[in-house]
Amino acid sequence: MDYDILLGKPAKDKSRKKQMREIIFFKTFFLLPAVLFLAVFMYYPIKETFQLSMMRASGLGESVFIGFENYVRLFTNEEFQSGLINVFRWAFWSVVIQIPLSFFIAFSLVAYRNKMTNGLRAVYYLASVLPSAIVAMLGRFMFAPNFGIIASISRKFNWVWLDKVDFLGDPRIAFWSVFFVATWAYIGFYIVYIMANIEQIPVDIREAAELDGANRWQYAIHIVLPIISYPLRIIAVLCVVGSLKLFDLPYLLTGGGPGHATKTLGIILYQQGFVNWQYGKAAAIGVVIFLLSLIFTVAQFSWQRKEGDIG
Amino acid sequence: MKKRRWLLFVGVMALVVVLLAPVYAAPRVKLTVWGRDLPDEQADHAYIRALINNFKAKNPDIEVDYIALGEGLMDKTKVAMANNKDLPDIFQTWGGSTMGGYADAGRLLDMTKELKSIPCSSAAQQAMTWKGKIYGVAPFFAIAGVFYNEGIFKKYNLSIPTTIDQLEEIAETLKSKGIQPFACGAKDKWPVLALFMYLTDRSGGVQVFNNAADRKSRFDNPEFIKAAQKYQKWVKKGYFGDKPLSETYSDAQQLMATGKAAMQISGSWLCAQYANKEFTDQTIGFFAFPEMKGGKGKITDVMGMPDIAFAVTRTAANKRAAVVRFLKYAMSVEACQAEPGRICSVPGVKARNPLTEKASNVFTQAKEIQFWWDQNLPPMVTTPLLDAMQNIFLPNADLKKAFTTYESLVEEVMGPVKK
Amino acid sequence: MNDAMVEKNKKDFRTGSWFSGVIINGILILLALSVIIPLLLPWFFVFKTRLECSYNPWSLPTQIRWSNFAEAWTAIRIDQGLINTVIVCLGAIACTVPPAAMAGYIFARYRSKVTEVIFYLILAGYFVPIQMVLIPLYKLCSQLSLTDTLPGVILSLAAFGIPFWTIIYRSFFKSLPGELAEAARIDGAGHMVTFFRIMLPLAKPATVLAVLLVFIGAWSDYLLSLILLNSQDRFTMQLRIAQFLNAYGVDHMPRYAAAAIIAAAPTIILYILGHRWILRGTLAGALKG
Repeated sequence: MDYDILLGKPAKDKSRKKQMREIIFFKTFFLLPAVLFLAVFMYYPIKETFQLSMMRASGLGESVFIGFENYVRLFTNEEFQSGLINVFRWAFWSVVIQIPLSFFIAFSLVAYRNKMTNGLRAVYYLASVLPSAIVAMLGRFMFAPNFGIIASISRKFNWVWLDKVDFLGDPRIAFWSVFFVATWAYIGFYIVYIMANIEQIPVDIREAAELDGANRWQYAIHIVLPIISYPLRIIAVLCVVGSLKLFDLPYLLTGGGPGHATKTLGIILYQQGFVNWQYGKAAAIGVVIFLLSLIFTVAQFSWQRKEGDIG
Repeated sequence: MKKRRWLLFVGVMALVVVLLAPVYAAPRVKLTVWGRDLPDEQADHAYIRALINNFKAKNPDIEVDYIALGEGLMDKTKVAMANNKDLPDIFQTWGGSTMGGYADAGRLLDMTKELKSIPCSSAAQQAMTWKGKIYGVAPFFAIAGVFYNEGIFKKYNLSIPTTIDQLEEIAETLKSKGIQPFACGAKDKWPVLALFMYLTDRSGGVQVFNNAADRKSRFDNPEFIKAAQKYQKWVKKGYFGDKPLSETYSDAQQLMATGKAAMQISGSWLCAQYANKEFTDQTIGFFAFPEMKGGKGKITDVMGMPDIAFAVTRTAANKRAAVVRFLKYAMSVEACQAEPGRICSVPGVKARNPLTEKASNVFTQAKEIQFWWDQNLPPMVTTPLLDAMQNIFLPNADLKKAFTTYESLVEEVMGPVKK
Repeated sequence: MNDAMVEKNKKDFRTGSWFSGVIINGILILLALSVIIPLLLPWFFVFKTRLECSYNPWSLPTQIRWSNFAEAWTAIRIDQGLINTVIVCLGAIACTVPPAAMAGYIFARYRSKVTEVIFYLILAGYFVPIQMVLIPLYKLCSQLSLTDTLPGVILSLAAFGIPFWTIIYRSFFKSLPGELAEAARIDGAGHMVTFFRIMLPLAKPATVLAVLLVFIGAWSDYLLSLILLNSQDRFTMQLRIAQFLNAYGVDHMPRYAAAAIIAAAPTIILYILGHRWILRGTLAGALKG
């Protein structure tokens, strides 16, 4: 354990017991604000939600306890099943596409450092700082069928093949259109985060690689990647949990349609809770999202520890 | 002597002050009103601007705190209603079953006595009534009908159809000329409802929906399926453009505004916009949805709902007098006259432009008004209905299955059909 | 680390052809363009009238008209919402970043079974979608008399931000070498001093990111402010903008685009000013590493 390092001060100063007490005091003091905040503002609502999920509640009338009926209804409901599949697809493709892409860009920006790439880093991150309402608006400007810019260009140059593509209305394509917009909006953050981690790698390691005759990309894959695997796992967790919760972008771009093509659990939750007055069902969906996130995260972190955690 | 007179003067002044003080010190009654639009200079906010500003000026003893919530109005209202806390005194609503849900939960104030004699159209009053009690007023009422581009019709010698078959012919002609026959906005789901309601009504009459909603018949009964199939046929024929599902409601309006689409079946709240020369240079008219030959529905069956309406919550229980003054002013000719485009349910208000007048005529000639179905069902089953209907735009969707699934949800919420 | 090392750090790899350099640079530029071009789209609208915009949305504007901006600006009444927004942003930063940094530090360097459990509990906060907790949150805030107050919004925002930044801080602190703490101990430093003088400065990239992102998140927050605030004079700027615009800017696209640009401008400007710090922050990390 790490605090062995901080224990064992010269005996002339403090007794071991006193040091242990000091450490516990320190830990408590440092953890208190965060835990306190969350205990009040997060756990109470979470507890309410767990309770609600077992009830038939409309928010207005009385709530009737119905046990697991909401969950049963959920899992046999076609819309929920689509939502579940969609978020899994989303999570999968986020990890498979967004993480390698971010790594590629981040590494390039570091390895090919010149005046231009320094400026580019700022550009990539720019998309991340926009509120999702604006991102959705820009997405609509791009993809809208008659008035979007893609439609206008394809009409101007008579590219019929492009004009035929129904970005937001074709169930098969809509998912990818929304995914494209989301990637645009989110990877800036991943890039900056990965870059910060890459730049912390000591120079000697890179020089050793150079001496061994490795070029940039071999260095990237065989050396950098393993070293930053923990931060990459963090991003994977953020990606997956983010996918499970996802609401803003698909809701604003396609409303979950067409049909159920882009409906995420987050959208279904919102609709059940705020539009349909089915608070019990909405709470149940929330619990499902919560548990799935928990399972995945625990799996990620404990798997990694087995491999010999660096910390 | 001088001193005594001076004392008398002071005494009288003091008495006057003491007597008048209650008037100045009297706390003003405060009304909190939640609405959607800001009372600013935007053209379609003219009514709310007139209402709030004039009412405040005419009623200095009532303090009106009007808060515009934009699109967040419905969400915030829901949270407040659910928690039963910090409710406004008056809030903007669209009547129907959503308001009914609040009423059933005891959040609203029964104002039947005070409001029932305010002059207004019976449909408007009906919309604000739930289980026999009146909870507010609806100064403006919207009906669904067909907007059409008069210029295009004239150019191709098309005349206003009186039967659905004629409507289909018009659509065919338009399509062959490269004009999208109908603008809809299917991506946003709810615009699909207007045509569906009319197709069902014209074929089977208003009872089709009423019976299903009263649980005397099922939602997957043949009348609904028939109407949905006809709708789907029109979609397949391309009457709604090649990419109907990516067309948002605002896209639909753009299409109408630029003459790329010739007709739109939607609500009369669009009148102000389509009559506005800054929004469109096309001339747009309005006609009632035609009848079906051999069908049970009549041209005087009209689908409608409140356009602007206000309801009262229980927090206003001891402010009834002030609330009534506000609502009465909301229903006054003076306030309503400011509105540029909506159909007014108050008698004596003239339409401000020819388009609104046409829509108004359809409204006044209506004999049977059915509320938009998504206002007429418990909130728990309205969005699922819209979801089911979106299948109409998926060319290979199994409509019967979609409606049967919907019926089972309805059974879960409202109970099965009672024989 | 001395200057020679710094210099070496800055040099490119010797191995690797200039050709791959060209390709990579080319790809990077293309990707950058794909970020910038969408941001330019609203500018096609803002100088047009509604009719022009409907008929030719993507043509270059014929006239430079500032009326749309003017209308959007006055309608938003920035002066009234700005102060509220700034208070919420600063409050959110103060209530999110320090607790996250402190907790992240403990989870990285003082691990025990107990802290692991607490970490997962805090992490669980990240799993929660906002819509799910809106109604109980309002109930809670009204019990604490926090509804219709800015602190209510601030504390709620903090509660949602802390889990995320705790994860990030934990990762940063973990990657710092243990020898530093050892060295500090030998020098006689206690826990607090170690944290404030040594560890925290090293996590500067994380802190800069956190401050920036929390600020921007609080600035653009809509849902929490909408639900928790009731009085007009407490409304934040984002709420005022939403009052002014309807959902899709249907009937006045040019003005909607203008309002969107105005709404996004502060975050973009702040970002342009702030990104230098991120650059400086990450370089500093590399130097010491």
